[in-house]
Amino acid sequence: MFESTLLIRRQSAPGWLSGLCYFGGLASGLGLSALLLMFMGVSSTDLYQEFVVQTFMTLQGLDQTVTAAIPLILVGLGTSLSMRVKFWNIGIEGQLWCGAMAATWVSVNDVGPEPVRLWLMMFAAMAAGGAWIAIALAMKLAWSVTEVISTLLLGSIAFFWVQHMLFGAWRDTVTGFPTSPSFDSAERLDLLGWGQVHEGLWIALTAVAVCTWLTDVSRFGLQAKAVGANLRTARATGLPVLGTVAVFVLGSGALCGLAGGVIAAGTEYRLSQSIGAGYIFSGIVIAFLARANPLGVFAVAVALGGITTAGGVLKVFYGISEAAVLMVQGLVLLSVLAAQLFSEYRLTNRRPV
Amino acid sequence: MMSKIKTLLKSPGSHKAGGRPPALLLQGIDKTFDGKKVLSCAGFRLEWGEVHALVGENGAGKSTIMNVATGVYAPDCGKVIVDGRDVPLRNPADAIVAGIGMVHQHFRLVGRFTVAENVALALGGAGRRCSIGEAAHLIEEKSGELGFSLDPNARVERISVAEQQRAEIVKVLLLGAGIMILDEPTAVLTQGETRGLLSLLQRLALAGHAVVLITHKLQEVADHCDQITVMTQGRTVLDAAPMAVTTIAQVTQLAFGEVKEKPPVQMGHFGDELLRIEDLEVGDGAVTLEGLTLSLRAGEIFGIAGVGGNGQSELVACLNGLIRPLDGRIVLTGLDLTNASPAQRRKAGLRIIPADRFDSAMAGDLTLSENLTLTSLDSGRFGPWWRMSRKAMIRDAEKSLKDFNVLGGTPETKASLLSGGNAQKVLLARELSAGTRVVVAHSPVRGLDVRSVNAVLDLLAESAKEGAACLLISEDLDEILHMCSSVAVLNRGRLSAPLSGADLNPTRLGELMVGHV
Repeated sequence: MFESTLLIRRQSAPGWLSGLCYFGGLASGLGLSALLLMFMGVSSTDLYQEFVVQTFMTLQGLDQTVTAAIPLILVGLGTSLSMRVKFWNIGIEGQLWCGAMAATWVSVNDVGPEPVRLWLMMFAAMAAGGAWIAIALAMKLAWSVTEVISTLLLGSIAFFWVQHMLFGAWRDTVTGFPTSPSFDSAERLDLLGWGQVHEGLWIALTAVAVCTWLTDVSRFGLQAKAVGANLRTARATGLPVLGTVAVFVLGSGALCGLAGGVIAAGTEYRLSQSIGAGYIFSGIVIAFLARANPLGVFAVAVALGGITTAGGVLKVFYGISEAAVLMVQGLVLLSVLAAQLFSEYRLTNRRPV
Repeated sequence: MMSKIKTLLKSPGSHKAGGRPPALLLQGIDKTFDGKKVLSCAGFRLEWGEVHALVGENGAGKSTIMNVATGVYAPDCGKVIVDGRDVPLRNPADAIVAGIGMVHQHFRLVGRFTVAENVALALGGAGRRCSIGEAAHLIEEKSGELGFSLDPNARVERISVAEQQRAEIVKVLLLGAGIMILDEPTAVLTQGETRGLLSLLQRLALAGHAVVLITHKLQEVADHCDQITVMTQGRTVLDAAPMAVTTIAQVTQLAFGEVKEKPPVQMGHFGDELLRIEDLEVGDGAVTLEGLTLSLRAGEIFGIAGVGGNGQSELVACLNGLIRPLDGRIVLTGLDLTNASPAQRRKAGLRIIPADRFDSAMAGDLTLSENLTLTSLDSGRFGPWWRMSRKAMIRDAEKSLKDFNVLGGTPETKASLLSGGNAQKVLLARELSAGTRVVVAHSPVRGLDVRSVNAVLDLLAESAKEGAACLLISEDLDEILHMCSSVAVLNRGRLSAPLSGADLNPTRLGELMVGHV
């Protein structure tokens, strides 16, 4: 059957076609996920109840969705920024851990006066995330070390560092568990009075606005686009390549670090070994599905927050494993990426020779 | 094993045509790339025992039709008949089995392997495994038969281009190719090497092979080919005419249209020195530039002739600030730019038109207005750094596209969608803007259609007339002789003394290009 099928690269794809492919891929990914979950024993009405009604249409479900989405927005934005300059930041979790550690360090040592301590924690988180990715950036610039490897391995180092602190200096003396002592109330992001949703929402929305300005309004946006599209051309036309790459890559690390700080100060109120798990995958999924567009990141992160919330419910009430929730993310991403084939290539039949 | 390989590799019968069906017959071939028709009802007929020239402009469809014959592209419709049999060529492996071999412009050899290892690799890939020793034996035998020596144990990256080409030819023959297609094989060779190759091809034809020679060089065609096919715009306009009854003038007119004698552009009244290059030494890649010195005056178009690959790209990359020279100086009106950044060079008025515009001048995925804006972001014309004005970008781009007569695109079109000629005009619109003092143009009209060629050369001449100095680096002697009043030749990384006046003639340039000084 495929003997006579030809794949022909399109010179350009019209907007409606790439839109159709995108949403077609999204729909088939969600459909496949639904089939998978039904195969695992969740009935179709339950799926609808849990994924659509409970997570997005009830106030209580929606607050959980939004709470889950706050750090997702930040890591999604972080991944998008580095993607814009073709710097593959696979070490999102490492920067996130460093951010959470820096915020915890400020809290544990009571750095600065209490009224501004929370802000100090957030700035420390950003600085730590930026510094952690700066190591990978410096190694790439100085010795051409590929960032895929360096950021990934730096992620492991950061996690071991967290464990070192939690089993050592920062171990909670009250409970004896390997978690940091609980943050004081002045060191916590205030709840907004709607379930678990906290001030981190404003931080995330500000980040969306700043990234939109950076990529779509400021001069940096076009410079980054040129660097991402053709590095040699960017160099030869005299663009400030180094400065542009630094802004986007360090910004990426800072946002991921900020996500760590927001999780620690907004939902957990302490540093533990489990707060950063899974964000590496979510960050990449969100950035790709949003095509590195900040407003898209916001939408996709909220949707993914819903999946996470519903996944939590499924886990408790239907005995579905955590892995199944990750599978849903993976299926959706793969479907959307696979569907891009049809916007890039045209399928035709070879005419009989 | 050896004997089995040998019988498989036996060359086809050495009789000429006599009642045998044509070696290769392509009929009514259509090929469309996403709505763009590159071949329409094209045909090609190759007989055994002949050297057949395939001639045409860039983009005429020569490479495409030969890619159909070697299974790289599937035709939309049409017939491919090899030695009288209708063979389906679904992929290059099918073509090898059918006995069709191609020597590409970029050789398909592994640089770090020896010649014998490359041959063993290729034979193994075609399902005929043999040891490296056996391959070495086969190579010695075959090269002896062809009348040249080729060391089977030499590493490919260490031998000259001409030797690599021989290795490629031997490899293709050992794969069992009765039909051999060579894409611009003489472009990389010196004159002596070219003569050797062409007589080798004639000997192969005498031995019964069928040889296709894709070329631009009409003298080679006249001297060494038996038949000729000419293509223009995806059609076969002269189908397998015997060379004996065809004149070069006929071919030229069919392939390239009317060629008019153009008056020289340069008059010889130049201003002050603008660019001086002193003892430049660049060692990056295969060719090392050594002791390169030249001086450019305002209003002058200085030509650098020479076969590509003799240091041209290295010189341009070095002037562009992409690679650092090992030694020497680049000075623009007293300002030392030797170690300046690309932005500083640009500010000083140095503008580069590289040979591959999508490698280091434009980004195909950016729109035309974005590409046009890249070099003047900090001019303030497009708003402050914290707020780019898209409107101003588009307005500027619209004006540039209109002024430089760019067709087929709006400011919002992606640059990769433009034709070569129009993309080049966009680049010139950007580089020949205000503040240009020195323009370095490397093969600025290669691959363009006649009308774009004239437009681009006129733009360069005009910019010289307005007082810029222009360095024209090109392989095309006609272009250089038309544009420049003094010309030097770049050969193996060394620049000859400039020629001008009566010394400046094709014969003398040709001698310098092949190194007979």
